[in-house]
Amino acid sequence: MDRVSRSRLLRVSLTTAAALLLSAAAAAPLTAQTAREIIDKVDRMMRGESSHGRMTVDITTEHWSRSLDMEVWSLGAEHSLVRVESPAREAGTATLFAGDEVWNYLPRVDRTIKVPPALMMGSWMGSHLTNDDIVKESRIVDDYDFEISFEGEVDGVEVYEFTMTPRPEAPVVWGRVEEQVRKHDLMPTWVRYYDDEGTLVRTMTFSDYKMMSGRLVPAVFHIIPADKPEEKTSMTYHELEFDIDLDESFFSLRTLRARR
Amino acid sequence: MASDAVWWKVAWRNLLRNRGRTLITASGLAFGYLSAVVIVGLTDGIVAELIENGTRLMMGQVQVHSPEYRPERNMHHTVGGYDGVDLEALLARIESDPDVTAAAPRLYGGGLLSSGEETRAGLLFGIDVDREQRVGTLLSQLSEGRLPEAGQYEILVGLEMARQLGLEIGAEVVVVVGASDGSMGNDLFTLVGVFETGTPAIDANYAVLPLPDLQYLMAMDPGRVHEIALTVTRARDTPLIASSLAANLEGSDYAVEVTPWTELRPELAEMLGLMDAVNYFIAAIIFGMAIFGVANTMLIGTFERRREFAVVRALGTSPMGVGRTVVYEGVILGTISLIAGALITWPIVVWWHNSPPDLTSLIGGFSMVGSQWRPILRIEYSYDTPVICAVALFLTAVFAAVYPAWKATRVPPADALADR
Repeated sequence: MDRVSRSRLLRVSLTTAAALLLSAAAAAPLTAQTAREIIDKVDRMMRGESSHGRMTVDITTEHWSRSLDMEVWSLGAEHSLVRVESPAREAGTATLFAGDEVWNYLPRVDRTIKVPPALMMGSWMGSHLTNDDIVKESRIVDDYDFEISFEGEVDGVEVYEFTMTPRPEAPVVWGRVEEQVRKHDLMPTWVRYYDDEGTLVRTMTFSDYKMMSGRLVPAVFHIIPADKPEEKTSMTYHELEFDIDLDESFFSLRTLRARR
Repeated sequence: MASDAVWWKVAWRNLLRNRGRTLITASGLAFGYLSAVVIVGLTDGIVAELIENGTRLMMGQVQVHSPEYRPERNMHHTVGGYDGVDLEALLARIESDPDVTAAAPRLYGGGLLSSGEETRAGLLFGIDVDREQRVGTLLSQLSEGRLPEAGQYEILVGLEMARQLGLEIGAEVVVVVGASDGSMGNDLFTLVGVFETGTPAIDANYAVLPLPDLQYLMAMDPGRVHEIALTVTRARDTPLIASSLAANLEGSDYAVEVTPWTELRPELAEMLGLMDAVNYFIAAIIFGMAIFGVANTMLIGTFERRREFAVVRALGTSPMGVGRTVVYEGVILGTISLIAGALITWPIVVWWHNSPPDLTSLIGGFSMVGSQWRPILRIEYSYDTPVICAVALFLTAVFAAVYPAWKATRVPPADALADR
């Protein structure tokens, strides 16, 4: 009995604390937006309603390194399609992300293959991203609770830092995610992913911010695994256009296997 | 010494005096011997079955790897590093060890198998078809089809995987595997056979293809393998053979790690140690029960002979002399029981060994510490079990006689003769 009442007391005081924090945040002039709104906005700016672009993915690992040129389409957060253009040996290899499903097209055998659940945690195209990372990325706003953990100047730039903790029922792999966003243009500078024990697993950094089709975006992403700092996946956008004429029917297995 | 022979004679006559009782006591000991040998033989049978299934199917008794390969099993850590090795030369060098009976090179890849709509993650097992058959029994467990040929894009899968992918012999299978250059190696293979080991993890996850085909798929040179599995002459001495092989292989251009099965499957090795301990425990219980039965019988025998003991004591025999005859009785009883026990045990063990009762139809097979066990109650021949049990039986009879003998030495001649 004692235990129950104590835990209830704890919960009540936590709720009060949270309410106080929220009202404090609301009262501050520069944080009129909640953490969730900012993250959501950052997300939308980066993605657009729909997009189409070309990028180079450079992957360096302890054992090999390679560079792939890719064409990328996306619609909302749920749909994207990526097709390798070069090197010639892998040209035509494509991946379709549709909701929770990931499909690969293998031109050599002319087959589409759905990635089975057991391999969702496997690497996408040998990079430091897993299929699961790309699928779950779209749901970050739904799966995590956000709070502003820092607000102020870092290296002469005013930034927000967010801490995202997964909701209890959310099917996520991270124990905690931290993100830093520049205040003046809401450009992300880094995202750090921690496991359940609070150990840093990997860092994503953004750079080379430039205007592409009228939007400011970071043109370069680096993903660095914390346990192997000499390894890296870099993505560099060369072209990116937003809000183009695309609908869901484009993100089909038929498009996936269309050879170019 | 002459007096000693007399006491033996007295002991023998005493046993003959109540033949029924002697027969029953000896039978008890003989059956104790039978049950100990049979139960220990059965656990030895289970152990042998687990070792065989744990090592013969795929593991081999010794494995050679790059020192970095285990335990992560990173695909880049092939024997000899990125450049691989002169495989034929290495195999010849390993096989020149007189204790090595066969050696087989292997390559592992993690990937996908797909057919139609169905896709499953699988472990690709690249093997030299001829050599593999001399080391492991996997290739002999085809439930359907035939073995694959190198260069023909032919593949085997386990029964459960075939079922999940809806595959039949002759079907096309897309194989996708993470290659050593970071790409996704992929190609079409034809299913030529299905294996059924009875071990669920293997039947559901393994796909077997010829080594050169998997090397090509994984963008690896022909000299690159992850593992060389060996069988050796004496499975019991595997750790010794492994360390002498490791010494032989030293001084190559590259380092290798030689690992006996006892290290590859420490839980199996520990389980076997436990089984041995259980055997001693069972024997201890059986003979422990017998010791009280025999002691009880002999105690009654000595009480019946109180007057006799009193007479010989009154005639000048030392207390030790009286006690000695009771112990001699135990020795003779033990010997008789041992002969009887051996006579009934031997034919039963031989018969059981040759036609073990197969309970498969009753309870099916199951896995224990990751090793398949068929419910066939086989008995293993063993050199030490019958000897250990014989010693235990003999000691049982002798120790059972100690207390009655001590009681016999305490018989006060005057009181006993006076019937007080």
